[in-house]
Amino acid sequence: MIDALVIVVLVATGALAVLGIGTTVRNRPPGRVHTLAVGAVEALLVIQAVIAAARVFGGVPLPESTTFLIYLVVSVCVLPIALQFATAEPTRWGGTVIAVAAIATGVAVLRLQGLWAAGGV
Amino acid sequence: MSERIPRATSSGAGRVLIAVYAIFALSATARAGVQIAGRFSEAPVAYLLSALAGVVYILATIGLAGHGPGYRKLAWAAVAFELAGVLVVGTLTVFDGADFPDDTVWSVYGRGYGFVPLVLPIIGLWWLRHTRAR
Repeated sequence: MIDALVIVVLVATGALAVLGIGTTVRNRPPGRVHTLAVGAVEALLVIQAVIAAARVFGGVPLPESTTFLIYLVVSVCVLPIALQFATAEPTRWGGTVIAVAAIATGVAVLRLQGLWAAGGV
Repeated sequence: MSERIPRATSSGAGRVLIAVYAIFALSATARAGVQIAGRFSEAPVAYLLSALAGVVYILATIGLAGHGPGYRKLAWAAVAFELAGVLVVGTLTVFDGADFPDDTVWSVYGRGYGFVPLVLPIIGLWWLRHTRAR
């Protein structure tokens, strides 16, 4: 994990949550903007996951490496599934579904950072 | 349109509820899996409870996402069990933490998860009532 990237990812998931809730408040279904926004956040998450996984498999010692790797997989899987689910029924609530997924992803990244810090690296 | 047909639990705002349930199903099950596989003997009761909570969240997600009376019954049962679970485990852990050496999703009314586990079944029961046939 790289501290600067963690902060960027957390800001990005936070912004995505605000975008999603804003869409629900304005009574609109999710559109192209949401697909692009999820794609951008997902790209950051994949970069983070690849770097972190490479360092774990490269021998960085972590007290709970299995838990760490599971959280890593969760951090990249939730948003694409949520986008699919949010756009499958075009109602105002799609935005909130994306927001929920963005918040959950942010929490997963925070837990990742905590587990990484516990390794003292 | 007949007023007697229940509305789908998986439509509109219900989709947000399903998303939250699915995330809890995933996190509770994954957590229990790691706990049971890695260090089951440390706190077997807490870890089995984590697994039970995971199964209940999975059943609630399926029940809410599905269509038809069978799914609705499943959702009622799972969400009601979930509320009972969080209340019983929450109360036990507040008064006697010794029996639960490790945290579960429902410990101290779901404090480790922002008390979402306490609020979620209440919203779930309200949603099932709100969408029922009337």
